[in-house]
Amino acid sequence: MPEGRRLIGRVTRCSIRGFVGGMRLPEPDLPTFGSFCTAEAQRGQSQVIGLIYDISVEDDELARQLAIAEAPSPEARADNQFTRPVPIEIQALAVGYRSGDAYHYSLPPQPPLTLADIFPLPAAEVRRFTERLEFLALILSASQLPVDDILVAALRTAAESRPAAERRSYLVRAGQECARLLGHDLTRLDGLVRLLTV
Amino acid sequence: MTLDLAQLLPQVSQLATDAADRAADRNRRLPEAGRALEAAARLDPQALLDRIGRAGTRWRGARPTDEPVGAAYPAPPHPERLHVMGADGSQVLPDRHAIASFYLINIGSLHLIHGSGEPPQVASRPSLHFRDEDLYDETLLPIDAALVAGRRDAAEMGELARLSDSCRGESALTLLDNALLLWVALQERDQRRHAVDRILQAYLTEMGHLQQSGAALAGFVDRPGSVNALALVHLAGLPLDSVNPESLQANPFRRLLDRDLFAQRLQPGERTARFASTSPLNADFHKRGQEIQFFYLHTGYQNQIARVEVPEWVGQDSRRLGWVHAGILEQCRTTGIPYPLVRAHELAVVAQADRAALEQLLQAALLRAGLRPHISQKAQTKRWTAQRRRHRL
Repeated sequence: MPEGRRLIGRVTRCSIRGFVGGMRLPEPDLPTFGSFCTAEAQRGQSQVIGLIYDISVEDDELARQLAIAEAPSPEARADNQFTRPVPIEIQALAVGYRSGDAYHYSLPPQPPLTLADIFPLPAAEVRRFTERLEFLALILSASQLPVDDILVAALRTAAESRPAAERRSYLVRAGQECARLLGHDLTRLDGLVRLLTV
Repeated sequence: MTLDLAQLLPQVSQLATDAADRAADRNRRLPEAGRALEAAARLDPQALLDRIGRAGTRWRGARPTDEPVGAAYPAPPHPERLHVMGADGSQVLPDRHAIASFYLINIGSLHLIHGSGEPPQVASRPSLHFRDEDLYDETLLPIDAALVAGRRDAAEMGELARLSDSCRGESALTLLDNALLLWVALQERDQRRHAVDRILQAYLTEMGHLQQSGAALAGFVDRPGSVNALALVHLAGLPLDSVNPESLQANPFRRLLDRDLFAQRLQPGERTARFASTSPLNADFHKRGQEIQFFYLHTGYQNQIARVEVPEWVGQDSRRLGWVHAGILEQCRTTGIPYPLVRAHELAVVAQADRAALEQLLQAALLRAGLRPHISQKAQTKRWTAQRRRHRL
């Protein structure tokens, strides 16, 4: 495990377009929608960069047992909400990969393997990766996903990785790129801009 | 899967038939056992003690305490606020095929305060044991699984003593997921006396600390297989001058268990009278003021009868005994096993992935120390055949 990095999951299934990971984590450590993560592929030659678009809390036998009890004690409920590691599944969309020091804004050559560790992408790396906005095209091309919400969440994460003074100009630049990509669909673009400004 | 289930089918079928026969036999014998218990309860307590004296030191039955043999006690009121602590342990045993000589003990614990609504405090405390004095006994024999289990039991008791120290002066219940008579001492005392005595000493010392903290202590045994009460019931039915090894052997209730008997008699929430174990080990515990007593408890969860063991200083203290009785019932309400024990086990268990991570950590440390660690060839070949699924792109 890289020093100082918090493991948020291990890959359970994957494809070129993304990966799914599972883990038991206490509630404060849960990743957030629209945050970036990374998992190793090609035996360490590349790091696939994923954008978390879904987080689901899985049940387990003990949680199910407590749920059907007439009245679980407040302490057991608090234990399961705040102390006991929650079995979670996170789903990430591949938005690029890093090979050596270079970022590539396309689908990775290979997916991560089963049980590859998934780490959050550190803020400094989020900033470097999102400096170029080609990753937006990969998000917009994802099918059967709430793409606009994912895109807005990703841009907010990218903006927050920057100093406060740079955030607005970054979002304006990202909005311009969205306008270029969605020029054919002004209604959708309008909705996207509204979401970004809320 | 390499197990040929088709070959096993006839034996599986026979097993089911035998189990059904045993259940029918048990149901036929239960009413008789119930009547014998009632007769034993009517017997003068001194007459019962006389028979126990006549049965000798090899008799393994339940010795009555100050409570009437056939009594059933309803649950006392639960305190508004009660600290409940559970500890459980697991281990990685020494393995000569591994990359290094060591064993690991991991103790999980949970401390909740009933009535507070607060999330519990949890802990997981691993310790690695690798020195010669850890790995060999006084005769230089390698430590075995039973001794590691004994050290784990002592560490569990130590964890409860540590936790109970944090709530001195308050109502507090500490729980273990097993009987309180140290298992390794029952099993191996004759073979490895010094090593076992050291563990026993540590265990009893921690029990003493726990006693001083003011907390109650109980061992919770789910689905108990013990027959001590039935041995007493049989003994009670023998005329005093007929008590001899042959008559004690001719026990008509031999295929029954104590829990079968009490499942018929206890209402949800009720407990039986307290009894004491007649094990010689309990005599040693008694000398240290730690005699172990036990009772059976209807937990109210799916007709479950559990055996609950307590030291005599809990059994004879109505306040602490009440915490045990009411506290266990409350903590069993949703899970059948006290909730702190369910979670302590979860916190203690060393999963396969944890073992693999530990091995990686050890490997890196050994390499840094200039060694070339490797597992034995036998272990290697087992890994080759165990990993049938491959992930190669």
